[in-house]
Amino acid sequence: MAASDSGTDESLYPIAVLIDELKNEDVQLRLNSIKKLSTIALALGVERTRSELIPFLTDTIYDEDEVLLALAEQLGNFINLVGGGEFAHCLLPPLESLATVEETVVRDKAVASLRAVAAHHTPQALEQHFVPLVQRLAGGDWFTSRASACGLFSVCYTRVSAPVKAELRQHFRSLCQDDTPMVRRAAAYKLGEFARVVEVEYVKSDLIPMFVYLAQDEQDSVRLLAAEACATVAALLPPEDMEQLVMPTVRARAGDTSWRVRYMVADKFVELQQAVGPELARSDLAQIFQGLLKDTEAEVRAAAAGKVKDFCMNLDKAHQEHIIMTMILPQIKDLVCDPNQHVKSALASVIMGLSPIVGRHNTIEYLLPLFLTQLKDECPEVRLNIISNLECVNEVIGIQQLVQSLLPAIVELAEDTKWRVRLAIIEHMPLLAGQLGQEFFDEKLTGLCMSWLIDHVYAIREAATLNLKKLVEQYGATWAETNVIPKVMAMSREQNYLHRMTYLFCINVLSEVCGKDITTRVLLPTVLSMADDNVANVRFNVAKTLQKMAPYLDPAVIQPQVKPVLEKLNVDPDVDVKYFASEAIAGIAG
Amino acid sequence: MSDTSDLDRQIEQLKRCEIIMEAEVKALCAKAREILVEESNVQRVDSPVTVCGDIHGQFYDLKELFKVGGDVPETNYLFMGDFVDRGFYSVETFLLLLALKVRYPDRITLIRGNHESRQITQVYGFYDECLRKYGSITVWRYCTEIFDYLSLSAIIDGRIFCVHGGLSPSIQTLDQIRTIDRKLHTQGWGVSPRGAGYLFGSDVVAQFNVSNDIDMICRAHQLVMEGYKWHFNETVLTVWSAPNYCYRLVGDLDLLLEEREFTIFEAAPQESRGVPSKKPQADYFL
Repeated sequence: MAASDSGTDESLYPIAVLIDELKNEDVQLRLNSIKKLSTIALALGVERTRSELIPFLTDTIYDEDEVLLALAEQLGNFINLVGGGEFAHCLLPPLESLATVEETVVRDKAVASLRAVAAHHTPQALEQHFVPLVQRLAGGDWFTSRASACGLFSVCYTRVSAPVKAELRQHFRSLCQDDTPMVRRAAAYKLGEFARVVEVEYVKSDLIPMFVYLAQDEQDSVRLLAAEACATVAALLPPEDMEQLVMPTVRARAGDTSWRVRYMVADKFVELQQAVGPELARSDLAQIFQGLLKDTEAEVRAAAAGKVKDFCMNLDKAHQEHIIMTMILPQIKDLVCDPNQHVKSALASVIMGLSPIVGRHNTIEYLLPLFLTQLKDECPEVRLNIISNLECVNEVIGIQQLVQSLLPAIVELAEDTKWRVRLAIIEHMPLLAGQLGQEFFDEKLTGLCMSWLIDHVYAIREAATLNLKKLVEQYGATWAETNVIPKVMAMSREQNYLHRMTYLFCINVLSEVCGKDITTRVLLPTVLSMADDNVANVRFNVAKTLQKMAPYLDPAVIQPQVKPVLEKLNVDPDVDVKYFASEAIAGIAG
Repeated sequence: MSDTSDLDRQIEQLKRCEIIMEAEVKALCAKAREILVEESNVQRVDSPVTVCGDIHGQFYDLKELFKVGGDVPETNYLFMGDFVDRGFYSVETFLLLLALKVRYPDRITLIRGNHESRQITQVYGFYDECLRKYGSITVWRYCTEIFDYLSLSAIIDGRIFCVHGGLSPSIQTLDQIRTIDRKLHTQGWGVSPRGAGYLFGSDVVAQFNVSNDIDMICRAHQLVMEGYKWHFNETVLTVWSAPNYCYRLVGDLDLLLEEREFTIFEAAPQESRGVPSKKPQADYFL
């Protein structure tokens, strides 16, 4: 243990403890100490950190994974603690070791830290220290180091000399052709990133062949990553090279024997579309997309279905409508009746977005029947996705066209056993209220809105309360007085105290929108009468409600009516009633 | 008043599943002790009250429970123990319940489960979680000390006897429970580790109910897939509130008992629960 004779050493005492703990047998203590590594380094100063701490840490590499992970992370932020960019390279030895360990999480963290540290190297230091490290890792015996190397090329490539660049490209090519699939996978994963920093001529000569090679790998997980890189690689190339260098791979992967690869193509389709440009998108991609929409695997169809709107939107305007109507629409028609509910649900979440693209006529003629079919789908999520996107259609044709089918769908979802489905429907009520008009709404939906107030789930009652407020904002106080308030009032006499409280929550929001007259004349008396409720929760909510409604009351009633009730609640035997009553008295006075 | 606003802030923080500082835990536990020491071993509770079973550190399911049942103080709750262990968020779960207890002592009642013990929490996760989240076992010490002060059972309106596990053969009357010095019996009463629990027998229950003039016994402790289950001609009710037990889907159920009205709630949806990421998936080939 460190000497503690002098004052300076005493202040270092905690540091000595931390250093001791770095060697402790208890993993937890070592871990805690590693997490405070920056404190130790700060106390030691930059010189001793470089000469003592870093070498010491380099030796601890044989620790538990959890400790190594923490260490790998800490070292990424150590630049200033070793004396700045000039000394960045002294962090490389421990990180290099960490980048070779077996545990993936530790390796990935070490690579992330190496990438961060690379940015602080001078071009000279890169060539002298960092590039040799990359080369050592790339030539390592064990696959772990070679896999780690893949992530380090892009961070040093741009700042080194041409001959070194050529070496790096050569090393990367070797990794792409590695015997171990794990390494090829890492290379495929980093290929796009590396291609972005490599000169176009070398992308074409060195990396595209590797991209093509990996895209035909025997392992589907390698092909999958190559497919993912497709859009990135394509975006780097001039249009004239697209057909020859990229499209063959796109076509092949879209028809891959592994559905996971096809799924990846579908998932990246919009990025790919943007990368290859309008010409190829029209002539080739539309057809490939058509194929993905009718893939044999549901996962692939679902991924493609979710892209329908974006793909259609990005088509060039001159051919957009034609392609949608002749190539995409027939597939959509099939997807609406797909046997898999995830496919239908994915489609339902975007299908309404086609309306603004194809316009009023096509929407009514072709899309409307599909919307209606989906509104009647057996799966609640499909129906909900349609209803959640009503505004898209509304802007094009108005929802009147949908009303007849909308109502049964809404009523059914309103009674769904999952409360989150009910919640989603409630949230669309104000929109429907605006669209359908008061008379129609009263006839068909007001009752439903009221029934949610006594739902057995609190979150639904709460949402129903807010919904009520929004409806009154649209239809006005007079409507509230005849259509809403009488039904709400009845709740003040409910057996269940939770429903009596919902009444009070309703009053809270209604008083904001009903105006002084109704609030004072109609709402206040019932609230006051509930101050004698036998359940304390109701009584303290009376106090809370009175405080909230006070600003909306006729000031003349505060002293004679509200105050006495609050004074009485303020001496209630229940602590919480007293507390909220006194809060209310203070609130109203202030 | 500043005590109250401090507490309200801590409650808000815990509701976001963020831990409070060690010093705050210490102060919270000190206040909790003052309140709990006054409570009886058979704590009197008035209806209406919502009764909940095991939570087991499933913080997001506790939040779901409050969404379905309503927040404290608006809704009254009785939690029948096993707040900690097994789930990922025992610390946040227990501290939130404890903070609510201190802020609204009359609105929420907490009774002790078999997992509220020094021994069991060292095996089933709460100890490790405290160590991981606070870097020391101080918070675990504060919490386990509070466990000793938790009431052992509750009685609603003098009619419904609520206890975590079950009846002990050595206890025939509620008065016998009332005389236990719970601070001396750190093992808790009438509850025991899984596998060694006392079984109910219909004759024992009938005898117990008659001699104590109660209608029924409500207990938790045992997983029931339906969320609640009646036994012995509706004289015993088992309640379970941890929908995804150990984050394995075993049935999306739970129950809130309230004036004998049941509400079943489902597990919090996956996207809303911040399950701490463990190791990423293993290499695809390996």
